[in-house]
Amino acid sequence: VKELFSSLGTECYVLELDQVDDGAKIQEVLLEITNQKTVPNIFVNKVHVGGCDQTFQAYQSGLLQKLLHEDSAYDYDLIVIGGGSGGLSCAKEAAILGKKVMVLDFVVPSPQGTCWGLGGTCVNVGCIPKKLMHQAALLGQALHDSRKFGWEYNQQVKHNWETMTKAIQNHIRSLNFGYGLSLREKAVAYVNSYGEFVEHHKIKATNKNGQETYYTAAQFVIATGERPRYLGIQGDKEYCITSDDLFSLPYCPGKTLVVGASYVALECAGFLAGFGLDVTVMVRSILLRGFDQEMAEKVGSYMEQHGVRFLWKFIPVMVQQLEKGSPGKLKVLAKSTEGTETIEEVYNTVLLAIGRDSCTRKIGLEKIGVKINEKSGKIPVNDVEQTNVPYVYAVGDILEGKPELTPVAVQSGKLLARRLFGASLEKCDYINVPTTVFTPLEYGCCGLSEEKAIEIYKKENLEIYHTLFWPLEWTVAGRENNTCYAKIICNKFDHDRVIGFHILGPNAGEVTQGFAAAMKCGLTKQLLDDTIGIHPTCGEVFTTLEITKSSGLDITQKGCG
Amino acid sequence: SASGSEEFNRPWNTEPVVREGLKHVSEGCVFIYCQVTDKPYWKDPNNDFRKNLKVTAVPTLLKYGTVGIFLCWNECLQANLVEILFSED
Repeated sequence: VKELFSSLGTECYVLELDQVDDGAKIQEVLLEITNQKTVPNIFVNKVHVGGCDQTFQAYQSGLLQKLLHEDSAYDYDLIVIGGGSGGLSCAKEAAILGKKVMVLDFVVPSPQGTCWGLGGTCVNVGCIPKKLMHQAALLGQALHDSRKFGWEYNQQVKHNWETMTKAIQNHIRSLNFGYGLSLREKAVAYVNSYGEFVEHHKIKATNKNGQETYYTAAQFVIATGERPRYLGIQGDKEYCITSDDLFSLPYCPGKTLVVGASYVALECAGFLAGFGLDVTVMVRSILLRGFDQEMAEKVGSYMEQHGVRFLWKFIPVMVQQLEKGSPGKLKVLAKSTEGTETIEEVYNTVLLAIGRDSCTRKIGLEKIGVKINEKSGKIPVNDVEQTNVPYVYAVGDILEGKPELTPVAVQSGKLLARRLFGASLEKCDYINVPTTVFTPLEYGCCGLSEEKAIEIYKKENLEIYHTLFWPLEWTVAGRENNTCYAKIICNKFDHDRVIGFHILGPNAGEVTQGFAAAMKCGLTKQLLDDTIGIHPTCGEVFTTLEITKSSGLDITQKGCG
Repeated sequence: SASGSEEFNRPWNTEPVVREGLKHVSEGCVFIYCQVTDKPYWKDPNNDFRKNLKVTAVPTLLKYGTVGIFLCWNECLQANLVEILFSED
């Protein structure tokens, strides 16, 4: 490597680790920041290139020469492709650290023509509108319960889709505006253009009028996120909508078929049913793949008991338009996944929620050799979010093997910027990331599912405590007992450490957040037992858990409902 | 069409910045400049500006008919931020 640099006319600073006193310590730190144990370990203009092999590879591909001729040859220190949760967080942090940053954000319109502003999925077509619509549905339920608490009113309570959607879109607009202001205040250049790599260190930005501009940067972060997947059947793109379209739909969707069993499918089906709409969910196999299946089954069961129809083990094969309209009428033909049975039914709206695909295939990654998982489209990165090309990093939903959640993207984006430009060593901690599914009965969790825990630790090494419970607010309202459920999974060989936390009940997200922090502190069953509960709440059940699954004892609560 | 409603109260001299920013508004945009009248009226927590327009500070530059799309105080002096507000459609 020394000869290579010499032949390129470059002077190297060489640190011989076996000739300095703290050589071993330096090697440790190198491992921490670069994930590389061996020497030589080469850095060019602050970019970690790698060992001997990687350096020669970089030389062969022309990348090494580019890195060497850097200094102020680039337009920007950092270009972020994607203005969502991960991209914006990273860009802002880099700007705060004094770097010259650009963010490119561009929304390719959905097949139905839907588009939105700066902020990414969460703000525009994800978490924010979802939670607001979930809240709208919960308020409907609350109105229903209110009569039992003495409220008297004569009006028929009904829901106006347009009023709700307009209010939600106004709020989203203000968030888009806020993000734009925030970037401008921090002097981050924002371009509403589609970014793609054309060669090393250079991207082409195409705006909505087709105008092309080129930009270069020392480092790049790919944060392009995902878009809903289609079925690939006749009529899917022409007539079906997805979450991209639902939250700004200018008319009430009416009788709806939701295809899918993801949290997106169940959350949408849940609030649509909450508005009084006729909702059917078509499931290919199981609900909430990847989540604790006992909890998933309970989530589905509650929805079924509250007016959502489930069609199990069916997939659509054709969607036909019978009538145009707002909404129109669609005929769906579906077939069973086991056998020859077919179903044909008419709906006003078909909502596809079968998964999301990474936006990594049309951004020129192949031009600079960034490897992606060909099957999933996701980008494999090391534990500092670096791709196989040293100056290219990635954050957010497109990462392989990481949770697809806004706070994860925000945190990893921020820490990435601090490591790149702020001399920080801190990596993102992906362990025990809490999350909540906002179905009509909410499900909050942190840590391992029961299946995963058994797989890793073996059943005999685990103790699982559980209980059914009846929220106080549900009693007078006449809502069912023995439906809400709490469960913790403890590792017997580590002081009964809580490695899995699960709650099915109202405000599950609020309850779970605090326990997630406790798990970060090493929560054990003993600590839970030592904690005094707040009464009367749902969360307090975790401080008095007694019955284990292994005991086989009954957890049914006495009391009507 | 979008319209803006704005209150001036010296010594914030936002006028030059706003005039410059108005060059960026779209066709059909209506700009309304209104004074908050006098201090006693402004201090009243039930005045129309506070209650109906949710304006809590002067000067404020806001996009009428929305909640949350606005600039206030020294933000109104920053040409780059005013440009963003006036570019909203």
